[in-house]
Amino acid sequence: MRWLVVVLIPIALIAFVTGQLFLKHAMESSAVKGFRDAQVISFLSYGVLSMTVHFFLMLGLLAHLDLSYVYPFQGLSVIMISLAAAVMLRERLNLRLTFGSLLISAGIVLVSMS
Amino acid sequence: MTKKRPLGFANPWVVLGFEVICVLVYELLQKRGASETANLSPIWSWTGITALVSPLVWLAMLLMIFSLLSWLYVLRYIPLSIAFPLSRVVDVLVPLSCWVILGENISARRWCGITLVIIGLMLTAKPVARLEEKL
Repeated sequence: MRWLVVVLIPIALIAFVTGQLFLKHAMESSAVKGFRDAQVISFLSYGVLSMTVHFFLMLGLLAHLDLSYVYPFQGLSVIMISLAAAVMLRERLNLRLTFGSLLISAGIVLVSMS
Repeated sequence: MTKKRPLGFANPWVVLGFEVICVLVYELLQKRGASETANLSPIWSWTGITALVSPLVWLAMLLMIFSLLSWLYVLRYIPLSIAFPLSRVVDVLVPLSCWVILGENISARRWCGITLVIIGLMLTAKPVARLEEKL
């Protein structure tokens, strides 16, 4: 079952990052278009769907693995989200912010490993 | 990048702080509620269903809803690459509160991790202070 873990952990992470990107995009558009706009509603739904996929994958992983094994990977989401927001949402990302996110990620990995 | 932001309690930075506190408190409540009810049924306690007996768990769920709504509000105003790293301050606050309130131990490795997160948070928060000055 080792291969299943190797596959499922990245999928769970990607689902989480994608979900956050969709939610951010939806909330930003809602400021201009309001909540009844079809695009805003579909982005919100994609966001909720991705987060739900992440939630159940995590439950499944936690049922078989220790939290101290699964949670460190979750720490990587910080740097992944910062980079993805810069690429997909064209947010300005300077060296300081990148380094800050990297340290937070590394710190969470250390905190949750012990 | 910077839209006009509401002031007072509606200020997105204040709401982000509220979101972090909600997450911190619900994590602690969940832990307390789950441990309290762990002995009710040896099998069912693994599904988490027995934890519903504890009012602390219901309070945790209420806080979870608050934290989600405030997170969505924060996303409306603050760039994700700043808001998300800052929201992870909770990963430092949870072990620290467990240490202070629940009397759990913190290993040397964990202290190193906490220090790294704090330095990272300071690096991330610095441009925010400058951003706000301009407004």
